[in-house]
Amino acid sequence: MLEVDHITFSYGRHTVLNDVTFDVAPGEIVALTGANGAGKTTLLRVLACLLMQDSGSVRLDSVNPLLRPIKYRRGIGYLSEHCPLYSDMTVEAYLTYRVRLKGERSMRVRKRVSEALEMCGLDEVYKTRIRLLSHGYRKRVGLADALVQHPKLLLLDDPLAGLDVRQRKKTAAVLTAASSRAAIIVSGHEIHEMLEWCTRFVVLGKGRVTATYRTSDYSREELSRLLEQQVGSGAGGEVRS
Amino acid sequence: MTAIQVTWLREVRAFRGAFSCGVPVAAFLAACGWTFVMTLRRNEGSVLQIQSIWGLSIAPWLPLLSAVLTMRLFAEERSTGMIDLLMSSPIRERDLVIGKFLSAMTVMAVALLLSLTVPVLILPALSAPVQGTVRAAGFVATFLILFLQASTWCAAGTMISVFFRNQAAAAVGSLVLCSGLPVVAYAAVLAWVPSVRTEMAWMPLLVHVYDFSTGLFSTAILALYVMTTVFFLFGCSKLLACLRLRG
Repeated sequence: MLEVDHITFSYGRHTVLNDVTFDVAPGEIVALTGANGAGKTTLLRVLACLLMQDSGSVRLDSVNPLLRPIKYRRGIGYLSEHCPLYSDMTVEAYLTYRVRLKGERSMRVRKRVSEALEMCGLDEVYKTRIRLLSHGYRKRVGLADALVQHPKLLLLDDPLAGLDVRQRKKTAAVLTAASSRAAIIVSGHEIHEMLEWCTRFVVLGKGRVTATYRTSDYSREELSRLLEQQVGSGAGGEVRS
Repeated sequence: MTAIQVTWLREVRAFRGAFSCGVPVAAFLAACGWTFVMTLRRNEGSVLQIQSIWGLSIAPWLPLLSAVLTMRLFAEERSTGMIDLLMSSPIRERDLVIGKFLSAMTVMAVALLLSLTVPVLILPALSAPVQGTVRAAGFVATFLILFLQASTWCAAGTMISVFFRNQAAAAVGSLVLCSGLPVVAYAAVLAWVPSVRTEMAWMPLLVHVYDFSTGLFSTAILALYVMTTVFFLFGCSKLLACLRLRG
């Protein structure tokens, strides 16, 4: 479904992503983890078409974003690290705006918005202005925005950051439900929690994929220990799969 | 709804806030009223027509209003990070730029229409012979050239706002491009080529307003403003695309 093939990206002389290669199958929830500065956000930004790689290619169902950007972007939902939103709008107005902007047909807009509101538990606050929402709810609105048009691929940059335990569990439940119709790549440092619902871990270190682990191949304790070693070491060891 | 319509609608609604729209438009109208009265007094007994005085009193303020209206269009998106969501959406940069530009032009058109109240309020106080010289067609032609100039300034302001995350910096940049550069260029021409001082007694931008207000239409001038507007909008969409190269 998603093929990331030898991606390299650098800011000037500083190489941020170096020969990153992996793929994601439909229904997978891939956790992208690594130390700070490992290149997680940059990789997600490349996959979200916000940055253009220096070399290598990305394909989503054989669609190359450099050749057919609109079609590629129609297939993705992106949640940015800082979860920017239009604070002056109500939750419902914001999601309606976003669905329309993404080119949904008028007759389906209301349906899509109500589905996203229900899925992300925003039914109670849909008439509330976004500036009045707590951080947790704002993250949920961002998640609803990413999900609203049923994308094939969800790219979520640190969706659990700053959330309390209850909100994290809610987010995990939303993502698990969403994985039935989309592949998900989620970055973050919350390894122990992500172990419960991610199907695969891709560890980045200094811009390289240093290890990949399928959660089904390891016991939770063993994988937790391996991941902590990998992330803790920063650079990581050899690529395993 | 197309992406242009959706963007336009969102931006027009965002303009409803007093600070981003109401206050600048009110200040613009006050400035126009003051300039209109001053120009009227200065040209007492001259052959200038009312619509020319109206046009000439409004044109200098258009770059200022457009700078204030357009400063937030992309600078705000960049400072809040919303630009990431917009750029990862399945829309063309061109549509985003046109939608935002049209929203600024909508407010600008409203401001220009409201500025017509300046002569309407002042005309009754004028003598009957002066009122007799007022022609609606002259006002329509003046409105057209002011609208074209405003579209150029708004397009330039929209493009400039892509460069900045700070709205004030975007406004200053826009003012420098739309107001500062023409004045400096005009002063430079007069300084270097003194022989043209007689022919260029007024700045060309004001001459265009005067010509249109007196019925002297020029296709070249129309084309100039349309082409400049298109150029700035094209540049704006390409600048947005360039953001993908290095964020």
